Amino acid sequence: MKVIESLKIKEKAYVEELENGLKIIIIPKKNTKKKYIIWGTHFGSIDNHFIMPKTGEEVYIPDGVAHFLEHKMFEQPNGTNSLDTLMALGIDANAYTTNDHTAYLFECTSHFDEGLKELLDYVQHPYFTDENVEKEKGIIGQEIRMYDDDPGWQLYMNALDCMYKENPIKIDIAGTVESISKINPDVLYKCYNTFYHPSNMVLVACGDFEPQELLEKIKSQLLPKENQGEIKRIYPPKEEKINKEYKSVKMEVSTPIFMMGYKDTQTEKTERVKKHIAVEIILNMIIGKSSKLYEKCYKEGLLLAQPDFDYESNEQYSHVLISANSKDSKKVEEGILQEIEKMQKDGLDAERFEQIRRKIYGDYVIEYNSVGDIARMFLADTMKGVQSFDYIEQFETVTKEYAENILKDLFKKENKVMSVVEPN
Amino acid sequence: MNYEKQEIKQGITLHQIQTENYKTNLYAIFIATPLKRENVTLDALISAVLRRGTKNLPSQEQISKKLEMMYGASFNCGIEKTGDNHILKFYLEALSEEFLPKPEELIKESLGILLDLSFNPYTENGAFKAEYVEGEKQNLKQIIEAKIDQKDRYAYDRCTEEMFKGKPYGLYKYGYVEDLESITPESLYKYYQELIATAKIDIFCSGRLKDKNVKEIIEQNENMKNLKERKPNYIINNETTEAKEVTKANEQDKTQKSMDTNEKIEGKENNEIKAKNENVVTESMQIAQGKLVIGLDVNETKENSRFIASVYNAILGGGANSKLFQNVREKNSLAYTANSGYIRVKNVIFIRCGIEIDNYEKALDTIKEQLEDMKNGNFTDEDIKSSKELILASIEAITEEQDTEITYYYGQELADRFVTVEEYAEKIKDVKREQIIDFAKNVTINTIYFLRD
Repeated sequence: MKVIESLKIKEKAYVEELENGLKIIIIPKKNTKKKYIIWGTHFGSIDNHFIMPKTGEEVYIPDGVAHFLEHKMFEQPNGTNSLDTLMALGIDANAYTTNDHTAYLFECTSHFDEGLKELLDYVQHPYFTDENVEKEKGIIGQEIRMYDDDPGWQLYMNALDCMYKENPIKIDIAGTVESISKINPDVLYKCYNTFYHPSNMVLVACGDFEPQELLEKIKSQLLPKENQGEIKRIYPPKEEKINKEYKSVKMEVSTPIFMMGYKDTQTEKTERVKKHIAVEIILNMIIGKSSKLYEKCYKEGLLLAQPDFDYESNEQYSHVLISANSKDSKKVEEGILQEIEKMQKDGLDAERFEQIRRKIYGDYVIEYNSVGDIARMFLADTMKGVQSFDYIEQFETVTKEYAENILKDLFKKENKVMSVVEPN
Repeated sequence: MNYEKQEIKQGITLHQIQTENYKTNLYAIFIATPLKRENVTLDALISAVLRRGTKNLPSQEQISKKLEMMYGASFNCGIEKTGDNHILKFYLEALSEEFLPKPEELIKESLGILLDLSFNPYTENGAFKAEYVEGEKQNLKQIIEAKIDQKDRYAYDRCTEEMFKGKPYGLYKYGYVEDLESITPESLYKYYQELIATAKIDIFCSGRLKDKNVKEIIEQNENMKNLKERKPNYIINNETTEAKEVTKANEQDKTQKSMDTNEKIEGKENNEIKAKNENVVTESMQIAQGKLVIGLDVNETKENSRFIASVYNAILGGGANSKLFQNVREKNSLAYTANSGYIRVKNVIFIRCGIEIDNYEKALDTIKEQLEDMKNGNFTDEDIKSSKELILASIEAITEEQDTEITYYYGQELADRFVTVEEYAEKIKDVKREQIIDFAKNVTINTIYFLRD
């Protein structure tokens, strides 16, 4: 297996790409009792239009299929449910769907081999019937309802709606009650056969493993599959401009919440990590815990806690999000805008830059505390074509000048949007 | 064993957990005091005011700068309700010295800041800084009002409040808006001084601590030197102290009684306990999904019944194999979430479901059926086995996260019940089917709370 290493944090990752295209990453962690394994397919809510490699058929699927499929994978032909089987072994099993991937995982302290067998087995054996698909619609309907009541989720969806007109990232991951009503076994099988091919999947394990031994164990339990050509995914053309500047809804919340967004242009794959680090430093400098602006907002009662911020970036979308509760989101927004303008004009303060850089270094190292965090990070990064250790290794290449260029380039007024949830 | 407990002075205890599984060290200070209606808001406000500044680092900006220079050390504080105690919690997490790009004495620095934040607040004229108190009063008001935002949490808190009406555990941990106005920087500071002079104080350190003389570092600390020994004022809660009263007593009276540390409520024999009428509470809000929370009394106060309770709870609503998940969600598609949780310190169980509002009756019937099933032994040996596995896995996981391990040992400290993680696992394995059925017969519905549109 190929070994990649981070000397700074004393961790290694073993990587192997099998003949059928499956990528396997193993990160050994000595002395931990917990073991974590996650198997992901590069199939998320944005993949709703594609060409099947085998038949050449062009397929449009209803919103929410990737997530629906995730729910249904656990069901087995013999009437058992793999989630129950794993739980019965004391194994904490789960699955989730994001914009760009779906993942099946478990964490355990004992019974790992039995868990592995079950995981490999159920992900390779879909079983969809009219009856079990119908039944799931009720459960997912309730899940959608839960999100309907979640102000944070609505806030996020509206921010995306402001930034993008057609981009499939706008689609609610679970779909809508209406869209999932159209799902049937045929659609699920089509998607399964296309996206659950080893060449479109990545498996990551982290824990006290002997890498070669685990690799062999996994290989011996994989079903033979014919090679498959590349899946052609069809997305609407990229939009340069934002869709609308502002969106506000009323919900049952005590104080308004807001999410400010900056739509970004696409970044070369090779530069994404570096840019990500720079954006994190910039956001911390604008309104992080030690910033003047945050202190001011806190004193004036405009902010109760440091805003959350995030930089989401892949082939299809790229944007910065800043969100918080505030009784006067307009004022906070103005403060942020002024701060950005000032920093763009005067450049970044060198001392503060170093201080924040240290903080971000610590943040990245801390990610290596838990086997689950490590495995999920490697999976999500691999799906985006990024190597996780690069965050630690490229850290030093992010200079003040580089960050200043990003600041000018990304935080442009015309790319700014604002989503607000107001109390009823 | 990697856990060691030492007394610094009477009422102040140091707990060290030696582990090399992490890139970080975690330090925590817990200040415990009895939950009282007249003090809850003060407690909550103090934890907020303290993080604003210390004598050495008088503003938040300076605290944050300092922490960032320490490679992004993070400080966190908050307030929790554990049994009938209100706990002020202070945490500091920092990289282990081993993973720093260049050597620094981070342990001493970390403990210094944490003790400073807890016991050396910034003051002006013998009181907290007025600006900080005013600001935090406003913030706390918003936090208290925000309890409606998270619907399932709100429903859970409301059910707890109804179930423990007039008792300490029914209090809201952030306190009450109507208390805020009369609090002054002086009155708050006076209360704070009294608090740190009488409360139970526990200090936890977890991580790479070998040969680091943590005890000495703490003993040498000026703030620690200033704290006097004390007979700590707090309440011990465990399954043997939590007998359920047969009738609802005068609320005022009850509050007084359970607040006195020396006067424990007498345990009552099981046969004295008659099924109370279920207390049904319905509340309306603009929501799409109904939240159903059911509070169950456990009328069993035998020593070690907590282990049986854990298994009972896991079978009822612990995981995907549980009766609630299987019957409420999987078989009947009535809910997306359906689970239950055992609150050991109060010896009660809460069932929580998110349901379609029109399905209320049906969901309630299905849940009641499950409770009956438990009494009648309608669960399989497989159910027992998988439930035990679920609990055992969570026990194994205790030592896999620093804060979980700290919380585990602190829970034992407060409950005055010490079992090692290994013993805990053995006790769970020993639970028998008959014990679960007997236990089930002592479980009764106290409160049904439904949040609907």
